[in-house]
Amino acid sequence: MQTTKGLKLADILITIVISIVFGIVYKLWGPFYYFVKPFGFHLDQLIYGMWFIAATVAFLIIRKPGIALLAEIAASSSEFVTGSEWGLEVLIYGVVQGLFAELAFAAFRYKRFDVFVVSLAAIGSTIGSLIMDYYKGYIEALAPWNLTLFFVARFVGAILISGVFASSLVKALEATGVTQMVRSASKEDYDQLDR
Amino acid sequence: MELVAFVDQLRLKFPGKEGLLFKDLSVSFSRGEKVLLLGPSGCGKSTLLQVLCGLIPHSVDIPMKAKHIQVPDNWGYVFQDPDSQFCMPFADEEIAFALENIRVPREQMDDRICELLQMVGLSIQPHTNIHELSGGMKQRLALASVLALEPDVLFLDEPTAMIDEEGTAEIWKTVKQIAHDKTVIVVEHKIEHVLDFVDRIILFNESGDMIADGDAASIFQTYKSVIASQGIWYPGVWEDYRKKRRNEQPASASDHEIIYLKEMKGYRKKEAKIHIDQASVCEGEWIAVTGKNGAGKSTLLHALMKLIPTEGTYELYGKQLQKTKQIARHMAFVFQNPEFQFVTHSVWEEMAYSLRLEKRTEEEISRKVEQLLAAFHLEKQRDQHPYQLSMGQKRRLSVAASIIGGQKVFLLDEPTFGQDAKNTFALLELLESYREQGATIMMVTHDEQIVQHFATRRWTIAEGKLVHDEPIIRKTTADEELGKEDASHEMEYKLS
Amino acid sequence: MRWNISYRETWLHRTNPSLKLLVMLALFVAVLFVHNPNVLMNFSLGFLLLFFLYTGYPLKYLLLFFVPFFVIFVSTASSMTMFGEGTTTWFQWGLVHVTKESFLRGMHLGFRALSFALLGLLFSLTTRPVYLFYSLMQQLKLKPKYAYSFLAGIRLLPIMLEEFQTVRNALKVRGADAERGLNTKLKRYAIPLLSQSIRRAQRIAVAMEAKRFSNQTNRTFYYQIGFSKYDVIFLLIIIGITALACYTGIVLPYIPVTDVR
Repeated sequence: MQTTKGLKLADILITIVISIVFGIVYKLWGPFYYFVKPFGFHLDQLIYGMWFIAATVAFLIIRKPGIALLAEIAASSSEFVTGSEWGLEVLIYGVVQGLFAELAFAAFRYKRFDVFVVSLAAIGSTIGSLIMDYYKGYIEALAPWNLTLFFVARFVGAILISGVFASSLVKALEATGVTQMVRSASKEDYDQLDR
Repeated sequence: MELVAFVDQLRLKFPGKEGLLFKDLSVSFSRGEKVLLLGPSGCGKSTLLQVLCGLIPHSVDIPMKAKHIQVPDNWGYVFQDPDSQFCMPFADEEIAFALENIRVPREQMDDRICELLQMVGLSIQPHTNIHELSGGMKQRLALASVLALEPDVLFLDEPTAMIDEEGTAEIWKTVKQIAHDKTVIVVEHKIEHVLDFVDRIILFNESGDMIADGDAASIFQTYKSVIASQGIWYPGVWEDYRKKRRNEQPASASDHEIIYLKEMKGYRKKEAKIHIDQASVCEGEWIAVTGKNGAGKSTLLHALMKLIPTEGTYELYGKQLQKTKQIARHMAFVFQNPEFQFVTHSVWEEMAYSLRLEKRTEEEISRKVEQLLAAFHLEKQRDQHPYQLSMGQKRRLSVAASIIGGQKVFLLDEPTFGQDAKNTFALLELLESYREQGATIMMVTHDEQIVQHFATRRWTIAEGKLVHDEPIIRKTTADEELGKEDASHEMEYKLS
Repeated sequence: MRWNISYRETWLHRTNPSLKLLVMLALFVAVLFVHNPNVLMNFSLGFLLLFFLYTGYPLKYLLLFFVPFFVIFVSTASSMTMFGEGTTTWFQWGLVHVTKESFLRGMHLGFRALSFALLGLLFSLTTRPVYLFYSLMQQLKLKPKYAYSFLAGIRLLPIMLEEFQTVRNALKVRGADAERGLNTKLKRYAIPLLSQSIRRAQRIAVAMEAKRFSNQTNRTFYYQIGFSKYDVIFLLIIIGITALACYTGIVLPYIPVTDVR
């Protein structure tokens, strides 16, 4: 039964360590993304969603407010520190994407952990990234058919990767029993002490 | 006597597990006592340590309550895993972290850091990357950073469980030097190192009940059989084991050569890390690969498995195979950490995995899996997730799943590392039974007793080279008389 | 954070990390609002000079680091060039439609991506994470529990990389590396690595609290990071580059376009 305010050291540390793992994935995803890009038709946008996965996975593991935002910031920081092709930009994207994922979880008062909410968070992050792209990349200047394809690909990719895949990943992780030590003990457990 | 820590009627429960671990446990400790907590793995000794210093429930959220509890004012805690207790990359920074926490002024830090490193016998530059230290050195660094807090009470939670023999001796030597005026509460499975240090033993059973508490020497004598049955490494454990061991024939190997190496080099990052001039392995041999940390023992196994690029002649059953995949048909490889090898969600599926890949019939798979489940004592765990097994079970599963494809050569990288006595003997006997049926074993180990009792040959690796290749005359029941005498002398000496 | 490459320390390494980070972020935002391609090109040139002259790494490595950024430059520039809209057509083939406007816009985006990348490299090549987080705690009042968590995480990086290699070998030995499907493959790696990392992180957190770590802010610091003459040099150089880039970009343009929007 937690009395301390805010996140515990263990919550933060676990979130950051998970995020560093994903930060490396983010970093490796960069060259992959650029490898896919020349194929055209915005195939690259289908895999864009990988850059939102730290937020959803970390939240599903720890299940506390603030985790999604922290995870996305931490993952983008480690992507940045390991020498991301995008440099400082990733930090700011990270903050915005994390914030929008956090909003999705907050909308359900951090009480729901199913695929639906997680996909919603993925959609949130996508919106965040699009807002950033708007300021940075003049995306409105693409031809309309092209722009539509761009949007659809990014949303679908995000839901598949950071929504569906993230949630099945955490399910597999739950089966190993490791998440149990991370989450708070339930009231029933405390009640049993008096039996 | 002044009490430094006690707990009265402690109740504690692990979330998600049935029943209480401790039910109304009461125990107290006086100033200056040196206490050893003994019991089988999983009986809650480490948990009790964490309750006594307040880490539970302050840092670890485990449901507990107690009528009264007193936590010492000034304590330090050394944990089991050397890699999981540092938060900074360099040695000086790690000690400084502890000093910062108790607000030691910056000007005093450099002197304190040097002093502390000296105290634990670490003669390294303060600004050394922790990653470069051996396990034993890491644990002494952990001790140094704990001593930075100037504790009166030291909690040592199996500090040597993941350390080799040499490191273990160093750690205990250091503890004995620095802790004579402190209260020390220890959990340790390799008790021969601590029996001359502790003056009180508290003994637990599997279910977390205290079954004995008293003067170290008398507890050890009275409860020797209980201690033995709990899988603890007590002095003389090997002699006792030898007596119990079934009467076996001295090991004999055939002269059928299965591995032949000449001018073989194994490369890591384009640098030759292992070099074998000439060597061969015959069917039915048990080769113990020994040598210092970083000498190249694991590299040798990796080279044999072709996990790293090699050069020169390496013949397996007379053929030069190029791919790990081809080699894996004849050779099983068991890694140090079993978890990394697991790929499925249940013990049964884990065993069946390689057979499925080979597209064996469902009937054959089921027959083989059942057979090995029985041989490796994993029948009751068949539906469990591999990660949820105990240390010993995980190890057995990783071996069983590796050899189920019918491989005749086993490469094992320190398979008994961190295992208790019971599990170690069980595993070694299983391997021996396979060897007797014609399997060949190559095993990296630091344990001289294993070499003496099980190996038929020893390869010594030093600086990436095979420097010694000698046959071993196994210690068997014939040596018993001699061994018993030795052991009893040793024990008296240690307990006095 | 390239541990194993030796480098020469320059004034960029000695600049206060928090100040450096803030200035870099400010430059990032500034570049975002530059629409004159001439000014942007000058900016990129300025950062490129800093990169090659003052990060203190041997040229061989600098070139190596630079390759991916060049790829990004080309990639970013070309996609906008080929598919963007515009009125003055230069070339058309199927869906590919290159116009003067889209070409300029593409080049502009390319240079922008390049300057972001360079800003990031300049920072990460010249800042040791330990100093950064100590500085963030001291100058920007970052809570110690966040700062030390990051540091602990960074310490685990090499350990995690080793584990990754081990998992790879283990999967190879078991024949699990040949399995099809990205989903299964990713999980094969992710489950052991994540579960190991989570357990390790949990243990480290407990160990840190066992060493009396708490969130009180009045702690002492092993690395006392403050400001020095190098910070003045840094600020002057950055202001110099900015001023020069804007001035020459407007007064001596390479191309007669002042706004690509």
